[in-house]
Amino acid sequence: MSTEIRRRAPRFTGRRVRQGASAASAALLLAAALTGCAGSANAGSDAIQASGSTTVAPVASDAAEALKAKGLNITVATQGGSAGGISQLGTGQIDIALSSKPLSDKDHKAYPDADFVTTQIGADAVGVIITREVADGGVKGLSKAQVAGLFEGKITNWKEVGGPDLQVFVYDKEPGRGTREVLDKFIYGKDEPPAPPKSANYAIVGGNLETRNKLKSTRGSVAPLSTGFIDGHPELVAVPLEGVAPTLANVASGTYPMTRPLYMITNGKPKGTVKQYIDHILSPEGQKLLPKHGYLTREQMGL
Amino acid sequence: MGLTLERPAQAPGPAASRPSSGSGRGSRARWVWGWAYSGILSVLLTLTVLLGYLVTGIASGTVDWAALFTSSTWSPGTLAFGGLAMIYGSAAVCVLALSLAVPVGWAAAVALSEYLPPRLAKPLRLSIELLAAVPSIVYGLIGIMVIRPFVADLGDVPGGDSLLAAGIVLAVMIMPTIVAVSVDALAAVPGRYRETAYSLGLTRREVVRSAVLPQARSGMRAGVLLGLARALGEAIAVFMVIGRADGRLPESSGDIFSSLVRPGQTLTTKLAGPEPMLAGTSGPYFAALCGLGIILLALVAVATVWGTRGSTGRAARAPRARRSSAWLRTPKDRLTAVVRLGALLLPGALLVGMLGILLARGGAALDPAFWFSPSEGAAGGGIRDQILGTLLLLATTALIALPLGYGAGVMIGTRASARTARVLETLTVAIGGTPTILLGLAGYVLFCTTMGWGRSWLAGAVVLVPVVVPVVALTTAGRIRSMPAEITEAAFALGLTTSQYVRSVVIPYTWPATLTGLLLGLARAAGETAPLIFTATVFFGAPALPTGIVNAPVQALPTHIFTLSQDSGAPEAIAQAWGSALVLVLITAGLLSLAVLLRNRFEGARRWTT
Repeated sequence: MSTEIRRRAPRFTGRRVRQGASAASAALLLAAALTGCAGSANAGSDAIQASGSTTVAPVASDAAEALKAKGLNITVATQGGSAGGISQLGTGQIDIALSSKPLSDKDHKAYPDADFVTTQIGADAVGVIITREVADGGVKGLSKAQVAGLFEGKITNWKEVGGPDLQVFVYDKEPGRGTREVLDKFIYGKDEPPAPPKSANYAIVGGNLETRNKLKSTRGSVAPLSTGFIDGHPELVAVPLEGVAPTLANVASGTYPMTRPLYMITNGKPKGTVKQYIDHILSPEGQKLLPKHGYLTREQMGL
Repeated sequence: MGLTLERPAQAPGPAASRPSSGSGRGSRARWVWGWAYSGILSVLLTLTVLLGYLVTGIASGTVDWAALFTSSTWSPGTLAFGGLAMIYGSAAVCVLALSLAVPVGWAAAVALSEYLPPRLAKPLRLSIELLAAVPSIVYGLIGIMVIRPFVADLGDVPGGDSLLAAGIVLAVMIMPTIVAVSVDALAAVPGRYRETAYSLGLTRREVVRSAVLPQARSGMRAGVLLGLARALGEAIAVFMVIGRADGRLPESSGDIFSSLVRPGQTLTTKLAGPEPMLAGTSGPYFAALCGLGIILLALVAVATVWGTRGSTGRAARAPRARRSSAWLRTPKDRLTAVVRLGALLLPGALLVGMLGILLARGGAALDPAFWFSPSEGAAGGGIRDQILGTLLLLATTALIALPLGYGAGVMIGTRASARTARVLETLTVAIGGTPTILLGLAGYVLFCTTMGWGRSWLAGAVVLVPVVVPVVALTTAGRIRSMPAEITEAAFALGLTTSQYVRSVVIPYTWPATLTGLLLGLARAAGETAPLIFTATVFFGAPALPTGIVNAPVQALPTHIFTLSQDSGAPEAIAQAWGSALVLVLITAGLLSLAVLLRNRFEGARRWTT
């Protein structure tokens, strides 16, 4: 590796640089022209392309790793989240869309020619996570109206919901994240959620890990987060909603309100190597990957 | 340049009597101009592609410009697109970053160049350049660990995600850039000036103030501009500590200070968020986002014009006469020395702290197996493929960017009139200040979609080129401007044509600065995350080395770190993220050290002014 660099470095020196310069520019232009002429020709890489939700990606990657030995090449990308995966599948750029939300009517309308087939590989429970300090201070449960008040910036002190005298700090998920859509659906049903509050104690977070780090380091914070992510972190608590705690039993029976399925979506029924891949994830061996990343298996969901 | 170098065409030159072989000392060296023009052309082409992408976007839906500039409500659901809070956030963060980084950076540069013996200054300068090698994603991770709690205590606010935290992270990030470029500018000031000033009995402080700084000013200003460009363009590190809350504005002038310790949003973080992916590729939402992109580019341009205003382009002008009071000369001199050397301690402490955290967290990288084994699954195994991918991208980018950037630099520094040079320089800095996320999105539209490349390593490398080219061009041009006038005069007195002058005088003289520029540019490109996510890398499953160009993704360290640090719950993922960060820093550090050795040899070989 370093030898390669060392060989290359002298090329930047002395008189040969100008040949190198013109050669490089020429090569670049040539390459651009050639590939430009090639248009949208696909090199026909035999790799299966899966793309979408960052929640599903770790599971998809581990499963792809296990199948590498059998000669299956699968690439997993996470650009644009669930929505991005669905749109790429609809336009035929990829083979499998990874999604942490069900297909909507909008998706079907946007791609009328696509025959989306969803396969549920597991599930994820989203909790309203608060800090141990607040939970021990008296917040033993929240109603739907209270959750809405918290995330709309109307409830600014935990006193108002029976907790300690402490400022509320809201971490909301960025738009497009499956987690946020689950919360919005719980609070607003089918209605459009309002614009974010202009309160001073309101910030946006992206990934699950970032959310957990910021919850742990902020007094009086609250955020939506997959419950799997707070296992082994006693300083965080998933608060019961409408009197229902996110226990395994409540999630499986569907009484806990914020549960979401994890999907692999294909255009048409899975065939050939794609089917082999999805079948592997549905097999007992593949299902073991879900708890590893904090999610629930199909079995736990009673599927 | 102030004076034009055009000579009468019939001027007899030594080259006229000899057959031109196309290379070698005797030839007319006309290739110089083809090269220089293609360099400038690449800058203009980048700008055209960027503007094309943004303007097409704006044209795809109606943009309510009035609301974009005056409203602070951003709610795509209700089609309300107000960007005022983001404009305020960008301005506040950049002002904070510059006001922290510029005084320290300049003082440290003067200390390095004027106060320390070379034996001590060289390693110190290398360490500061190492700071520039730390990828922005690592600054983000460390910002979350260290700077957020600091701001939370300072402002007595929960969390600490704030404009101030973002400003501090950026200040730390741009300081090495400012120092490295300023040191180059100071080093280019001929020793005679210092000797003359000392022989007049001036103290060191007075020598620096009246003889050295006036000569180095334009180069030092270029350093600040590069720093500002980087501050405006940085997305990922700011993304992690700013809170990304839209719509907060200070209600009164007294509220400004409290707004600094509260969550905010900049234009860059807005564009680097998920929204460009959610907005589709046409319609009012997409158009509003492109409008934000245009505002951002305009801000970069304004800052650049304002920054270069009043620089005459001729560094070698007569120093302004300063009336310096004779009162307390020696104490003042000592105090200045203490302050300047103290300013050096800050980057040093940062470096040590950063390395400490990296070593403590990224212990995985100390195991050779981690370097040479491929990944297993989402977060297991080693990172061989990511290392190879990163090296491939960097090498390709360097090969393309060095000639183009150097050509552009030669063009700005020698060929252009003062006014054209300023325009070109402004454009170049504007490219450098372009949020890389925009480059990534434009590259995605151009290469991956329109040209049908899909995810491609070459697209990634090409998208990184505009990150490196401006740095190379500006450092080269700054160095050319600071060339002693007598060298130029002597060259023309010998009857050299301008192209021969460039080949035989300018190029040998500017190499060291160009190498510095290339290093800084590559160090920055190595840490770029956003553009690669869109163009070149996938989360998992790319081969170690691509076999073609179309649909040939690679894996790269920065994007690997980003996905791991954002979205994985597995504990080994965190260890792997920090391990990868340390490996990335080590690789860049190795490259830098090697190139610095080369550069020092060059500097030693070129004794122009003794």
